[in-house]
Amino acid sequence: MKGGRAVGIDLGTSNSVAAVIDKDGRPRILTTAEGATMLPSVVWFTNDGPIIGERARDGLDFSPDTTIFGAKRLLGRRFDHPEIKKLARILPYDLTEAPNGDTWIQLTPGRTISPEEVCALVLRELRTMAEAHFGEPVTRAVITIPAWYDAAQRQATKDAAQIAGLAVLRLLSEPTAAALGHGAHRGANRKYLVCDLGGGTFDCALVDVEGGIFEVLATTGDPFLGGDDVDRAAVENLVRDVRTTKGMDISTDAVAIERLRIAAQRAKHELSSSTSTTLHVPELVQLPSGRNVEYSRALRRDEIELWSSPLLRRLDPPIRGALEQAKRKREDVEDVLLVGGMTRMPAVRREIAKATGREPSALDNPEEVVAVGAALEVARLEGTIEGVLLIDVAARGLSISTSGGDCELVIAQSSVIPTREHRVFGTRADNQARVEFDLWEGESPEADNNRHLGRYAVVDLPEAPAGDVLVLLELTIDTDGTVRLGATELVSGERLQLEQIFHAGLARADVARLARQLAESP
Amino acid sequence: MAAGRTLHVRCATWEQVDAFHTRKLRRGKLLSMKVPFQTQNGAQVTLGLELPNGVVVAIDGNVLKASPIEGDSKTWIEVELVGFTEEVLARLRSMAKGAEQIVKPAPAPPPPPPSKPRVATSSNVVEQPSDERALFQQLTGELRRLRQLAVHEVLGVSRDADAETVRVAWMGLVRRHHPDLVARHNAPAITHLAEELTILLNRAYDRLRVALVAEGRATTIGSTLQHPSGWLVGFEDLSSVDGSPVKPRSASGSRPGIQGTPVPAPAAPAVTNANAAPTTPPSNVQGGEAFEARARAMLLEGDANTAQEVLAAALCVYPRSRPLRSLYYVASALAAIYKGEMMLATSQLETALAHYNECNEAATILEEIRKHGHVRVDEIKGIFR
Repeated sequence: MKGGRAVGIDLGTSNSVAAVIDKDGRPRILTTAEGATMLPSVVWFTNDGPIIGERARDGLDFSPDTTIFGAKRLLGRRFDHPEIKKLARILPYDLTEAPNGDTWIQLTPGRTISPEEVCALVLRELRTMAEAHFGEPVTRAVITIPAWYDAAQRQATKDAAQIAGLAVLRLLSEPTAAALGHGAHRGANRKYLVCDLGGGTFDCALVDVEGGIFEVLATTGDPFLGGDDVDRAAVENLVRDVRTTKGMDISTDAVAIERLRIAAQRAKHELSSSTSTTLHVPELVQLPSGRNVEYSRALRRDEIELWSSPLLRRLDPPIRGALEQAKRKREDVEDVLLVGGMTRMPAVRREIAKATGREPSALDNPEEVVAVGAALEVARLEGTIEGVLLIDVAARGLSISTSGGDCELVIAQSSVIPTREHRVFGTRADNQARVEFDLWEGESPEADNNRHLGRYAVVDLPEAPAGDVLVLLELTIDTDGTVRLGATELVSGERLQLEQIFHAGLARADVARLARQLAESP
Repeated sequence: MAAGRTLHVRCATWEQVDAFHTRKLRRGKLLSMKVPFQTQNGAQVTLGLELPNGVVVAIDGNVLKASPIEGDSKTWIEVELVGFTEEVLARLRSMAKGAEQIVKPAPAPPPPPPSKPRVATSSNVVEQPSDERALFQQLTGELRRLRQLAVHEVLGVSRDADAETVRVAWMGLVRRHHPDLVARHNAPAITHLAEELTILLNRAYDRLRVALVAEGRATTIGSTLQHPSGWLVGFEDLSSVDGSPVKPRSASGSRPGIQGTPVPAPAAPAVTNANAAPTTPPSNVQGGEAFEARARAMLLEGDANTAQEVLAAALCVYPRSRPLRSLYYVASALAAIYKGEMMLATSQLETALAHYNECNEAATILEEIRKHGHVRVDEIKGIFR
């Protein structure tokens, strides 16, 4: 195989997993230096350089403003996006606006970093794990992304990989990866509903598998619903409990809260298999006298379910929404796949069973199945698995507008990709040398409702009276979901030069520079 | 076969083209060759002469002599190329000189539909050649062939195929051509070809399902279906189906619209001899009266944009209907007039006439524009009645 080994990566909001296909054809989940299968997607920027993964979690206690978690949520997002505004209020670190309107992270005064670079550090860590496993360089990867990612977010993910020194073989949508990892390609034709409840997000997708062809029909989700929210709800209740039993308020003590959170998380995991457990924090707080206060409490499963019930109720609308999008009834769903660690919680299973009207399939490894799917995709692209084809549709429409006019839809949402459409526009003035246009993602005629992807100009037009020069603009979405542009002069058939005036995301040169920097740093 | 066969002759260099008419042809008209099918005296054949610049010149001929070869399914035939006129010869020569700028929009009956509409199913997955060179050539040939076809022919289904047939055909073809299937070759050129092929297939599929929904024959196929507003009718169609076989002469040189000059890219235009087409060309196929009536009603109300969408959908189903096509351009011209883009409107109207000479609406509006420099759409709307 040319150019090094390839690895399948599930780049998650809170945890990332890497998997490869072994020589015997079985998927293998790579383990971190600590022996865990999941690498927390956390980067702690210390004075001695970045710390990634499990050890970076300590940074959440010591310096929450330079410990970046959930950078995936910021990838390829505009700073003025309502979701980013919401995040900016709740995240312990500061967000700032990049010159081109993207969201960046303010680490210290005067030092900003793009989410791409943060994700690149996580990816590089996974790459190191894979290299340790193979004993060979790893240069290529299949990376999973949420199915609803827009063009800018896809590009940002690719940039992050490039900075980490990984060429992206394919961006694979997470529900497809989950179905693939579940082994859907080996089974009969089936209509799946994939529910992915991870640490930070809930994603819901309808995936049809027909004769080895995978098709994602609809995706919905709740970007602020996940295991972390359940932990937070538990901590809030425990803080109240501490106040009543111990008579002290620890709600402002970050260290105590963090210890409580870790204990609550452990208890939550135990309660997935047993109905009661004991929550024990040996050193909750240290009193001024130097005495440690110990906190211990029996916890029943129904208690934690009660605490998280407002969250669990939010599982239903996205499932309903996905069915509605695909104009399906819930009886049409033939199998429900549960993905993500949170789906181990019995209450989550119950709630999803209620919403879908059928008992979900139990997966052995809900946390890892997406990464397994990514590894299988690597094998598929290398030709070791045959007869499987993944069909993707455009998650959003693409529109263009010229000279500040209305946006005009060029590629409709749900067009099967790869695809190409074109628009023709004429010059408006005599001897007009260039035509500028804007590219938008979204289908609304009003620019404000769409995501601005970039502004471009067709330059060096031939001299002619107004309207005599007709420009044929071709928009291509390639197999990866990346957007390409091409322009032709309609009368002569000559290729025209395109000039990029503005575009979202990192510039090509910056990506290359960052990749070099990271490769040189230890 | 009454419709006659198409023989494809590819000339890779201009020397070969020259050799074709100076050495291969006897008495300027007769050509002998071995063909892999049975035929008989008097049968009609069409010779597709592919030039190095990608232009295909269709030349009609009759089989004069057919002698089967023993123990073989092949036949020696002698063909009289009745369509190989002085005019064609002159065009070949001037093109060879590289000075060729075809002045007239060569009327081109659309290429004959594939002799066997393939309904691809999962069972007939064709093995791809393992040799990269052979694969490259196979894909190039396939791409060139598909680019000349209407959307339903690309998928190998009939014009009135239902949703299920369309889907099955599309899936079967995608399963053959998807770029992922050749990813293991690690050859960018092959991946690119496969991607181009898949783009063609996907577009054909998307358009057919939009048309099916517009016709009310399908509600949802796949996921949500939103119609792209007023896309231009296939670029390939522009260059290959222009002109009107009804009055080929009148078109020559008199319409300097965008149709006046052939557009070499991206499709290989099929330039066909004007005197040819002794068989009934499928370009006379009419249909879509219901669409036309709806569109006219909309134009009458001044809703040019919606009319354009309706016609665009109709053209997916009836890609060869010249009245529909010309009406589409009239609608888009009206939309341009509303926006005040008179130049664009004029060229759209000229295009309409280039497609269909008898499009009175286009002629009327165009005359109005030429006389007054502008046109009041409200005053002339009546012509759509």
